[in-house]
Amino acid sequence: MAQNTAAAPAQQKPKKEKRSQFSGMSKALVRRETISAYLFLLPSLVFFVSFVVVPMFICVIYSFMEYGLGGIKGFAGLDNYIKLFQDSIFHRGFLNTVLIVVVAVPTVTAFSLWVSSAIYKMHSVPRSFFRCVFYLPVVTGSVAITVVWKWILHPYYGLLNQLVGTDGFDWLGTSSTAIWFIILILFTTSIGQPIVLYVAALGNVDQSLVEAAQVDGATKLQVFWKIKWPQIMPTTLYVLVITTINSFQCFALIQLLTKGGPLNSTMTIMYQVYDTAYRLNDLGYANAIGVILAIIIAIFSAIQFKVVKTD
Amino acid sequence: MKMKKPLALLLAVGLTLGLAACGSGNNSQGGSQTPAGGSETGGGASTGAVELSLWSFNIGGFTDAAAWDSIVAAFNEANPDITVTVTPINYQDGDQKLTTAISSNNAPDIIFEGPERIVGNYAREGLMVDLGDLWSASGSDIAEGISSVSQLDGTYYMYPLSVAAHCMAINYEAFEAAGALQYLDETTRTWTTDNFVKAMEAVRDAIDAGTIDITVPGIIYCGAQGGDQGTRALVNNLYSDYYVNEDGTSYLANSENNVKALTLLQDMVNNKSMSANASFAAADELQAFANQTAAVTFCWNYSNYTQYAEQTQFTPFAMAFPSDDGVPELEMAGPYGFGIFNNGDEAKIEAAKKFVDFVCNDQAAGTDAVKVTGFFPVHSDWGDVYADAEDADVRAPFALMSDYLGRYYALTGGWTEQRALWWPMLAEIMTTGADVQTAADNFVQQANANIG
Repeated sequence: MAQNTAAAPAQQKPKKEKRSQFSGMSKALVRRETISAYLFLLPSLVFFVSFVVVPMFICVIYSFMEYGLGGIKGFAGLDNYIKLFQDSIFHRGFLNTVLIVVVAVPTVTAFSLWVSSAIYKMHSVPRSFFRCVFYLPVVTGSVAITVVWKWILHPYYGLLNQLVGTDGFDWLGTSSTAIWFIILILFTTSIGQPIVLYVAALGNVDQSLVEAAQVDGATKLQVFWKIKWPQIMPTTLYVLVITTINSFQCFALIQLLTKGGPLNSTMTIMYQVYDTAYRLNDLGYANAIGVILAIIIAIFSAIQFKVVKTD
Repeated sequence: MKMKKPLALLLAVGLTLGLAACGSGNNSQGGSQTPAGGSETGGGASTGAVELSLWSFNIGGFTDAAAWDSIVAAFNEANPDITVTVTPINYQDGDQKLTTAISSNNAPDIIFEGPERIVGNYAREGLMVDLGDLWSASGSDIAEGISSVSQLDGTYYMYPLSVAAHCMAINYEAFEAAGALQYLDETTRTWTTDNFVKAMEAVRDAIDAGTIDITVPGIIYCGAQGGDQGTRALVNNLYSDYYVNEDGTSYLANSENNVKALTLLQDMVNNKSMSANASFAAADELQAFANQTAAVTFCWNYSNYTQYAEQTQFTPFAMAFPSDDGVPELEMAGPYGFGIFNNGDEAKIEAAKKFVDFVCNDQAAGTDAVKVTGFFPVHSDWGDVYADAEDADVRAPFALMSDYLGRYYALTGGWTEQRALWWPMLAEIMTTGADVQTAADNFVQQANANIG
């Protein structure tokens, strides 16, 4: 009881500190500062609302329309959504998308953390070198990367076939292998940013806590798990969410390498949105797929926020 | 502070749902539109000056927008008040650009392409202007086959400039070294199905023996729809069948002769006198032909000849597709011509018609434009426009191919949808060994569902 009584004022303390943020400021000054803050926010907010929120709602509205090249032909009700759940290509795209996310996200996160743990203590020159090496695919651009991978995987004069001795094997033209190469290439282009973020986060871990734990006899694993891991948790959450969204949106690689084939084995929801809108000109259906994709991403992100609890 | 939570919620929801908007946001500003255009470049009818936008697909030499300069300049001599701005687009992302422009009421005034898009896609959606007056005035000498594909339900929506035939080509030196030239008629550039099979087997044997430095005899590309006219023509010609029945009510991939043709090709893949790649589109196959990985290409025309001429260290010998009776029926390359988007501005429509009339019907300007495409004029009374050309001998085989022109299918209902089904069907048959009849039946069932 005594402990509870003592803890109560301590719990209220931050609230008091929060209030004191404006102590000594007149109400007019607070209002003026608040208005200034919103004015600073306004340009980006206007941009965000105009180019994200408004199109987002238009997208939802169009998903209920029969909408082709000649404009809106009529109200479709739930037809586009019903069609979507009966569409075997969408089913395949959904499974492929989930496979990409389920494989790529943990792999990218774990590998990035592992590499970062190895390089963040290095001298600045080698550390910068490794960060550059891993970040290079991010700045190189999808087109250049796919050209290189196309050459590596080319069935007739590709490097991989020469190394493995599988002359003529069509890695991207075989259903069982194509999706794995898409994931591999996505992996190489996705690890750059997490590594940079993790190196920074690990560098910011409070060394006094680490040293105190070491003095108390903590093992390396215990130091990492009990001291470092909680402190890099916000970075981990960010990496998870961004990698998940990027994986869901995997489009350029598929457009440039496989066009969703062979036999829809690399079809993803994002690619189907593009294909339905721009090749089949079925804009209403494409919007419906886009809405479903957004909902799926929102669900995945919510789960990640829930699982990786962080401030 | 009370604002914080709702604002954060709005931002969070917006960020996630915004992905969907990004995915298809480009199409979301349009709304219903009867007129397609409303292009902002409009000069306005009231002043007399008109600005036209022309979007040109990369047909032959029109890959480069500068190829239009002399044609537009000649037009401006007679029509100084009309300005034409040319935007080159290509088959990789041209459809995406056009869809975005149309759905946001920014369609170009004029498009240079073929009936598949102008008539089959855009006129069918009610976006194009009736060009019947141009046809009445100057189209009397244009062949019936070209005239019929320029219209929809009796209304002309396209005015053609040039036409050619899609064909295939062989590596002449490789065939010669393999002893395969005996199987083809070099004069008529035709061969029978039996001789085609023998020729490809001869090439395969020569590769195996190391006589020729080629990797595979030929490649059936089935990784994307680009260049699918080549694989269609190959299958349809082998046993003299068609892609669509005569009244356009059904696709015919599962007919007895087409199944026989697909089975033959599957057998050829199995015995390695042919190869199949589900990661190859036509461009990949053409590149493989140009760098002597493959001894034949199924996607050839004068335009491709010029594009790959610098790379080829051999003689690409244009050939008709093999057929059991030796009488091929080739698919049209084109006819390429113009369509005018109905932007609701009469002055612009009239100006656009003047431009189309000038380019397609003025013999001097038209001949120049035809030469840039590399194809042949649709006006039969213009004669041989390449008679004095330096490369007349190179063009001659392509002129010969025009004699073998067959039916035009690309206006059949559900054409766009079936194109997405054809190459996966080929991939299924050629690369997974699927049962031909079953795969073809599935294709026809799905393709016919959209035929309308």
